Amino acid sequence: MSRWLAASSGILIAVGAISAVILVVLIGLALLGHAPTTVLTTWFHGAAGSWTRLALSVQEAGPLLLTGLAAAVAFRCGVWNIGAEGQFLIGAVTMVAFGTVLLIPGPGWLILSIVLILSAFSGAAWALLATGLERWRGVPVVLSTILLNFIAVAVVGMLVQGPLHDPTTTAPQTALMAEQMRLPVLVEGTRLHLGVLLAAIIAVALWLVLKRTTIGFEVQVVGLNPDAARLMGMPVGARQVLVMAVSGGLAGFAGAAHVAGVTGMLSGSPVSYGYAGIAVAMLGRLHPLGILVAALFLGMLSTGASGLERRLGIPHDLGDVVQGLLVLAVLVGGGITARRALRPQAEST
Amino acid sequence: MFSLSGISKRFGAVTALAEVSLTITTGRVHGLLGENGAGKSTLMNILFGLLQPDAGSITSGGTALRLRSPAEALRHGLGMVHQHFALVPTLSVVDNVVLALQSSLGRVDRAAWSARLRQRADALRWDIDPAALVGSLATGQQQRVEILKALLAIDQAGSAQRTLILDEPTAVLTPPEVDELLPSVRALAADGVAVVYISHKLAEIARVCDEVSVLRRGRMVHHGPASETQERLAELMVGSPVSHPARPACPAPLTAAVRIAARDIAIRIDGRTVLQDVTLEVRAGEIVGIAGVEGNGQVPLVQALLGLLPPTSGTLTAPSPIAVIPDDRQREALVMPLSVAQNLALRRYRGSPFSHHGWLSPAAWSTHARALMSASDVRAPSPGAAMATLSGGNQQKAVVARELDGDPPVIIAVNPTRGLDVGAASAVLERLVAARDRGAAVLLIHSDLDELLAVSDRVLVLHRGSLADSGWPTCDRAAIGRLMLGGLPLGPRAADPPDVDGLQSPSIPGATS
Repeated sequence: MSRWLAASSGILIAVGAISAVILVVLIGLALLGHAPTTVLTTWFHGAAGSWTRLALSVQEAGPLLLTGLAAAVAFRCGVWNIGAEGQFLIGAVTMVAFGTVLLIPGPGWLILSIVLILSAFSGAAWALLATGLERWRGVPVVLSTILLNFIAVAVVGMLVQGPLHDPTTTAPQTALMAEQMRLPVLVEGTRLHLGVLLAAIIAVALWLVLKRTTIGFEVQVVGLNPDAARLMGMPVGARQVLVMAVSGGLAGFAGAAHVAGVTGMLSGSPVSYGYAGIAVAMLGRLHPLGILVAALFLGMLSTGASGLERRLGIPHDLGDVVQGLLVLAVLVGGGITARRALRPQAEST
Repeated sequence: MFSLSGISKRFGAVTALAEVSLTITTGRVHGLLGENGAGKSTLMNILFGLLQPDAGSITSGGTALRLRSPAEALRHGLGMVHQHFALVPTLSVVDNVVLALQSSLGRVDRAAWSARLRQRADALRWDIDPAALVGSLATGQQQRVEILKALLAIDQAGSAQRTLILDEPTAVLTPPEVDELLPSVRALAADGVAVVYISHKLAEIARVCDEVSVLRRGRMVHHGPASETQERLAELMVGSPVSHPARPACPAPLTAAVRIAARDIAIRIDGRTVLQDVTLEVRAGEIVGIAGVEGNGQVPLVQALLGLLPPTSGTLTAPSPIAVIPDDRQREALVMPLSVAQNLALRRYRGSPFSHHGWLSPAAWSTHARALMSASDVRAPSPGAAMATLSGGNQQKAVVARELDGDPPVIIAVNPTRGLDVGAASAVLERLVAARDRGAAVLLIHSDLDELLAVSDRVLVLHRGSLADSGWPTCDRAAIGRLMLGGLPLGPRAADPPDVDGLQSPSIPGATS
C-alpha cells in the first residue's frame, strides 16, 4: 500500500511538473501572440505528426535514455556523476577512431560489437578517473566529473583537429566512418538505428538488476545509508566503483551509438546529451522505466520544438528552456513531498 | 534572584522532571550536577522559555513569571552559553556580536558595539580585541566572546538583573584553558551576575561553585554548599548503593572461550590519542559492561572492535561479523525509506532463502520478516511498510530482532535503550540477558549506569580513552561514579589481595587517599 503510494506519488510529481511547465510556457507564448492551440498542434505535429517525425523523436530519445540511465544508476547509489557529457564524448571519439583511422579488418558485425563495447569501456575508464581521484586524493566526484567534462571536450577537440581530422576539409571535423562500422537502420527512410533498440533493452535489463538482484539491493542500500551498509558488511566501496563504471559505460555507449547510428562522424560542435541526461533522470525519478518515458517525452519535446521554429518562428531553444523548467519543477515537487513525508516523523521524535 | 519551585515536566509516559526546586542568587555560582539524561537540559530549557512546565512556578524577586520564549527569558535577564559556539570564524569579534544582536537593518555602528564590548570585558578583566577574527582566537577566547555576547544581549533587553547559564563550559576546553576559565566565572559572579554552572566534573564544581544542586532521574536529590566531598556528590549523582541488589559474581567460568580479546590497544587520530592501553576480554556467557561519560573513547573503541578503525598499536582479536546494536539506530542500523522486511534481511540477503545465485526471492523476505516481527513484538502495519513509519521503540526492536537472529556468538550493544520507554527498554535488556544465558559474549557500552549495572556481570570504566576495571560487583557504585568522572584516581588495586569482605561491606577503593 505505502509502496504503491510512493510510486504513484513519483508519477504524480512528474505529471504535475510537466503540466505546470506546459501551462507556464503556453501562457508565455500566448502573451507573445501565439494561440495555445496552434502551439500545441504544431508541436505535436512536429514531434509525432508522421512516422518519420515519430521515428526522429524516438531516435532523439535514444541517447537521452542512455545518459539518463547513466545518471540514475550513479545517483541511486549516492555517487554524483555529473560527467556523462565527458564520458559520452570519450565513447564517441573512441568509436570514430575505430571507424576511420584505426579500421580493423574482419567480419563487420563482430568488429562493430567489439568496438561498441570498447567505447563503453573508454567511457567507464574516463568516469573511473573521478573515482580514483576521490579514493586517493579525496576530491569530491561531483566536482571532478564536471571538470573532467571540460577536459574531455578539449581532448576530443584536439583529436578532431589532429590525428582524426578529415584531410579533405578545413572544418574541424573527422572523416565519415566506414560503412561497416555504422549501426544498421531499423526503419527504412529514417536514421532510427539499432542503438536505440539496444538502449530500450538496456533500460529494462537495468530495471531488473536494480530491483531483483543482491547487487541492486546493495546499490540501493549504499545510496540511502552508506553508514548502515558499511556496518552490515556490505562492500560499499566496491559498489560505488561498480556503479561509476556502469554509469560511465552507459554514457560512453551512448556516444558511440550516436556517432555510429546518426552522425557518422564527430565535429567540434557541442552535443549536450550528457547534461540533458541528468534532466531525464530527474524527470524519470531515477527509475529505469520512468526514465524510458521521460526520454521519449524529451525526445518529442526536442523534435517538436524544431517544428515550432520552422512553422511559427519560435526559436527551438524553447525546447531547452522547457527542459530546464521541468527539472526545476520536479525538484520543487519532490522537495515538497519529502518535507510532507518527514513531518509526522519529526513530531514523534 | 530566580526561584523555581515544584517544577514538573512529562514527555508522554516519561517523567523528565518531578517537583524540582532551585534558587539562583545574584553574585553566586550555582553548580548543577547530573548524569546524561538526569533532566539538566529540560530544566534549563524551561528556565530559558523553550519548554513550558506541567506544574510549578518560576518567580523573580517575589513576582511570578511565565516564560514563553527565549526573548521573554532574556527580558528577565536570563542568558545562556551553549556547549557548542554559535560564532562565525571568518568574521571579527565585533561583527559576530552585531550579527547576533542587531536585529534591524541599517547602519552598523561598529565603534559603539566595540565600546560596549570593551566595557563588559574590562569589568571582567578580560583582554578582548573586538577587531580580531574569531577564527584566529583560541577556543577559550572564543568562549569568552560567547559569554560577552550573552551579557550584551541581556543589557540590550534592558534587564538590570543578570543570570547566565553555562552549559558544560569546559567540555571543549584544554586543561590550561579550563584553568583560565574558572577565575573568569568567579569574575562574572563578582560583577553581579548569577551563574548557573552545568557540569558533571566534580573537581571543577568544587573549584568554582558556591553551592551545588544534584539532579538524578528528574529529581533534585541534593542542595548544599559546594564544599561537599566529591565522594558524596558522586554517590548522590549516580544513586545510592543500597538500591541495587548484589549480583552474583561473573557466571562465566574462567575456562569459557574468549570471544573478544584486546591487548594494549592505542588509537591515534590526527596525532590525538583517543584510546590508550585498552586491554579487554569478553568471554562466552558473560555481559561485560563499559560505563563512562559519553565522548571518552566509546566511539573509537566500538569502531576498532568492528574492524572499521585499525588500532595504531596493540593486538585485537574479534570475530567477523559481530552482531551490533549501534548507538544511532536511524543513522547506523536502519535504512529508513526501505521496508521493514528489507531492513530485517540486511544481514542475510546474500544467502538462501533470501536470494539464489544473486537473484532475490521477495516471498522469503516477507515470511522471514513476519516471523521476526511476531517473535520480537515489532509492531508494524505490514512487512512492506517503510521503516520510517514505525515508532522509535519498534525500530529498535527491529534492530535487536535482526542482530540477534541466528544466535550470534558475539554481540556489541551501544546505548541500546536510548530514547525508549520503560517497557521497550526492559524488553531490549532482557534480550541481551537471554543471549548471554545461551552462551553469547556480550559487550554493553551504556551511558545509563542503572541499567548497565542491572545486567552486567563485570563493569569496566572508560575515561579519557583508558579502561579501568571497577571491580564490580564487589565495589559500590559510587566508586564507579568517581572513575567515570575522573574525580579521584583508583588506588593501586592490582596489589590488593581479593577482598573477601567486599560483598558484605562494599569498600571504596582509594576513598581514604
